[in-house]
Amino acid sequence: MSWIKEGELTILERFCANIIKAGPMPKHVAFIMDGNRRYAQKCHVERQQGHSQGFEKLAQTLRWCLNLGIQEVTVYAFSIENFKRSKEEVDGLMDLARQKFSRLLEEQENLKKHGVCIRVLGDLPLLPLDIQELIAQAVLATRNYNKCFLNVCFAYTSRHEISNAVREMAWGVEQGLLEPSDVSESLLDKCLYTNNSPDPDLLIRTSGEVRLSDFLLWQTSHSCLVFQSVLWPEYSFWNLCEAILRFQMNYSALQKARDSYMEERRRQQLERDQDYVTRKLQQEGCASHGDSRRRRTLLQKCMAMREERIQGFLQALEHKRADFFERLCTVSA
Amino acid sequence: RQRWRADGRALRKLPVHVGLVVTEEEPSYADMASLVVWCMAVGISYVSVYDHNGIFKRNNSRLMDEILKQQQELIGLDCSKYTMEFANQDKTGQVLNCQSTLKVLSPEDGKADIVKAAQNFCQLVAQQQRTHTDLDVNVLDNLLNSTNGFPDPDLVLKFGPVDSTLGFLPWHIRLTEIISLPSHLNISYEEFFSALHLYAACEQRWGK
Repeated sequence: MSWIKEGELTILERFCANIIKAGPMPKHVAFIMDGNRRYAQKCHVERQQGHSQGFEKLAQTLRWCLNLGIQEVTVYAFSIENFKRSKEEVDGLMDLARQKFSRLLEEQENLKKHGVCIRVLGDLPLLPLDIQELIAQAVLATRNYNKCFLNVCFAYTSRHEISNAVREMAWGVEQGLLEPSDVSESLLDKCLYTNNSPDPDLLIRTSGEVRLSDFLLWQTSHSCLVFQSVLWPEYSFWNLCEAILRFQMNYSALQKARDSYMEERRRQQLERDQDYVTRKLQQEGCASHGDSRRRRTLLQKCMAMREERIQGFLQALEHKRADFFERLCTVSA
Repeated sequence: RQRWRADGRALRKLPVHVGLVVTEEEPSYADMASLVVWCMAVGISYVSVYDHNGIFKRNNSRLMDEILKQQQELIGLDCSKYTMEFANQDKTGQVLNCQSTLKVLSPEDGKADIVKAAQNFCQLVAQQQRTHTDLDVNVLDNLLNSTNGFPDPDLVLKFGPVDSTLGFLPWHIRLTEIISLPSHLNISYEEFFSALHLYAACEQRWGK
């Protein structure tokens, strides 16, 4: 299968994999696959070759991840900022995308066999229409597979993603589905393009750059960040193991930080809800804001109503997104 | 004692805003104060201090005291040239002259600030003063409060063994160089400056 290289680990690789798997393993790894162009320069080939090699390396890395039991991978394939590159390079990358997504659609049997769910995340309307159509087909064809998940960020930046999430919540308010007070961190989480995925445990950036370049900024706030100097097309199984080892070394500190963050978040939400209930009780003129039973009932009622609104909103959002893909498929049919 | 400014000018590029991010559990006020004062002395205009437990923020005045003390020690005779403006601080008073501004941040300035901005915008939408299509990246950027008046950080110096930003300004660090140092405890000026040196050497392509 072109997107996931066939093959098993060598004996040595399998040996190391078993050692690593004795420790905690990341469930979701994100990659900034940087260094294709520098690789091309190094090997004295065309940039386009560098990008092609980069894709081959992606296929190989996905195979390694599956062999290691890593079920979800997110990659930064094309940033909205990359549209700034020369027309020649952008066209080349678009052609590569056309090629690869078309191949993907030809391999549907394999995708089914391996249970690969493909998602493409980004401001897709920015892309050429034919690529949008290919993407829609790939996403719809694999949407119910669940053995492993590949998220491709294409025409993506994190700031656009976060803004889009806020816009969707504002749309929800406009539609009468949400109250402004329903807006919270956890609701914003559910409005991101990545809402069906857990946060990445590990983010790897190759080629030696030490920045995030507008990739998954919200989702990686507590992820293990590993910066490796190897150029992406030269990435090896050992580089991957090295990154996983770093993840393992950070595991308890990050768990602890994440847990305390979530606890604080819960505490603040509860405080806000209690304040709301206090105001409500005062409005009712109840001397009974001392009545803890009344308070508890009201609190539960508020929380239940909010939950109902949120479910309704998320369903509407889900429909909107599915509609977008389905309409693209009927266009090409 | 002109050394500091000269050091700054010797670098190919100097960050405009440095985030000092501590991932160690026990922050040291004295060492953090040194770092802040060095940033200021070298000519860095905006400095933010962060730890994920919000310890510095809660003990703001203790940090300020330490900073003032170190400013006097380190800068000595040149003190008339430097002022430090403490953004969001209550402390004014014996402030020395330089052109730097400091902010002390915690996780509530990160995602929580984005959520607050989102809530405010949604409130306007509920009141029909805005529509959802009004919101784009720039609008949201302008609605954020946590770093009012500050440019995005160009550089984060991350101290400690944890390989994560632990919630430091997620929106603002989209292009920030992240340089890691083993610890902020007993940090030396040389270590600090060599990190600035590393920053000066990095190439930014801006997506192109």
